[in-house]
Amino acid sequence: MSWREEADRIRARREAATAQGGPEGVEKQHQKGRLTIRERIDAVLDPGSFDEVGRTAGDAEVGANEELLSFDPANFVLGFGTVGGRPVVVGGEDFTLRGGSPTLAGLRKSVYAESLALESRIPLIRLHEGSGGSVGTPKRPTPPSAVFDAPRFRSVAETLAAVPVASAALGAVAGLPAARLVSSHFSVMSKSTAQILVAGPAVVQRAMGENLSKEDLGGAQVHAKNGTVDNAAEDEAGCFADIRTFLGYLPSNVWELPPVQPCDDPLDRADDALVDIVPRERRRAFDMRRLIGHVVDQGSFFEMGRGYGRSQITGLARLDGRPVGLWANDGRFLAGSMTADGAQKARRFLELCETFHLPVVSLIDEPGFWIGSQAEKEATIRHGSNVVLTAAMMSVPWASVMIRRSFGVAQAAHYGPGGYVLAWPSAETGPLPVEGGVAIAYRREIEAAPDPEARRRELEEQMAAKQSPFPRAEAFAIHDLIDPRETRPMLCRWLARQGPKLATLLGPPRFLPRP
Amino acid sequence: MATKVQTETGGAIWKCFVRNGQAVAAGEELFIMEVMKMEVPYEAPVAGIVTDLSIAEGDVVPEDHVALVLT
Repeated sequence: MSWREEADRIRARREAATAQGGPEGVEKQHQKGRLTIRERIDAVLDPGSFDEVGRTAGDAEVGANEELLSFDPANFVLGFGTVGGRPVVVGGEDFTLRGGSPTLAGLRKSVYAESLALESRIPLIRLHEGSGGSVGTPKRPTPPSAVFDAPRFRSVAETLAAVPVASAALGAVAGLPAARLVSSHFSVMSKSTAQILVAGPAVVQRAMGENLSKEDLGGAQVHAKNGTVDNAAEDEAGCFADIRTFLGYLPSNVWELPPVQPCDDPLDRADDALVDIVPRERRRAFDMRRLIGHVVDQGSFFEMGRGYGRSQITGLARLDGRPVGLWANDGRFLAGSMTADGAQKARRFLELCETFHLPVVSLIDEPGFWIGSQAEKEATIRHGSNVVLTAAMMSVPWASVMIRRSFGVAQAAHYGPGGYVLAWPSAETGPLPVEGGVAIAYRREIEAAPDPEARRRELEEQMAAKQSPFPRAEAFAIHDLIDPRETRPMLCRWLARQGPKLATLLGPPRFLPRP
Repeated sequence: MATKVQTETGGAIWKCFVRNGQAVAAGEELFIMEVMKMEVPYEAPVAGIVTDLSIAEGDVVPEDHVALVLT
């Protein structure tokens, strides 16, 4: 006697599982221009590195002699693999089976994904396409689970404080999977194939009377601009590339330092373009992204959240091969002011840096909070103060470069505790920009002048001169006033000095990061 | 290949330096918008000939407006 029969039965189940929803289900998925979950997993991981967990999970129907009559695989595929040679956990719904709405074992595997990442202390990648529970009758009814069981989302919350979580929306993602999609450090949606919905068109039509397509309700034109996801990629391949890039800057967990890469971009590269990049005309905007490109390692800037909170630019970059969180203002959008959504984006970004011990580099051109009736309606002061207080409680090394404007309460968000502060000659700083400040503080004097307009301009020029960085540097109120071309060398040298401090900060953050 | 130059935000066209048929070099200033009291210059992303110019000084244009096409 041997166990050959059982071994054959195991093999039969595994073969049935890899068939997913069967040739027809797979064909239907491909016809819609979408990959199956197994193809997705293979595409996001290093080639051939997938090592599946739970290969025999599913509903088996057997005959009198235990022969397999039919097998419905659990519709969540889970396992280990590597990205850039480093281990990760990866999982996602199988849309070819029940449209990704969880089966019993499928749900168990889905919930277990976080536990696996937490136990192994390695990043988690979630590739989503599917919906939440269905009111339809399952093939085999199971007793309801206890409401008083441990909260299902507890491990999701704990994971965010322990290992990097990156997720993608690759088809329609609704309900529970949508909640997991956004409960991540980085999320990306495919513009050509994905929608994200709390509830789909039929439910919305019934409850709200709105007659909208999936795309109208939750396509990239909605969610890449409201912060639901960080990035939108053209297609599924673009999503996988973004996730791989994102993980490349991060450590495997909060107990490790971010990975340093060899760098062939000279750390003393001093691009001449930097000395001309900020126009002398104070109202003339400049291209902050171009400036960033001259400072960080060539091609290393990975922007996150470009579609929303657009007055703030956030992303990951490297300086001499060392990863940093890079935050800057975009003066081309609402003058670079701190808006409610920009503040939420910045707060979440700072929390990412704090959690994974990424030093922050802040390139400042901050005119202050966004003002006006729309700004008041959006509770700008509450969201703005949130990021100001978040910055005040950071512990990672922080370098601030005053590029141009640094005004108001909002500027405080751009300087971390114990930070290194450099200023360009174009830096201006004060309680508020002279254009607004002079008109208020000198109202009577301006009104009484024979030529009020001329007096206002004269006062503005006097005040602008006082906001010059030279007296600040002379008083050692900043660490150094620098030639803009020195920015990269100085930041690289600063960052190289942070190793010992970073090593003392390792471990979980003092707060629990939220989506 | 045609390259569209689109506005990044809504705002007013303050200055326009080009006309249809004009050849421009990469990096050349095409027009300047006024957005929240800031002057926002738009530069040619590639060299080309200006076509389909659909802005004029004083126009108020929305976000993602195709200001011109470079061919």
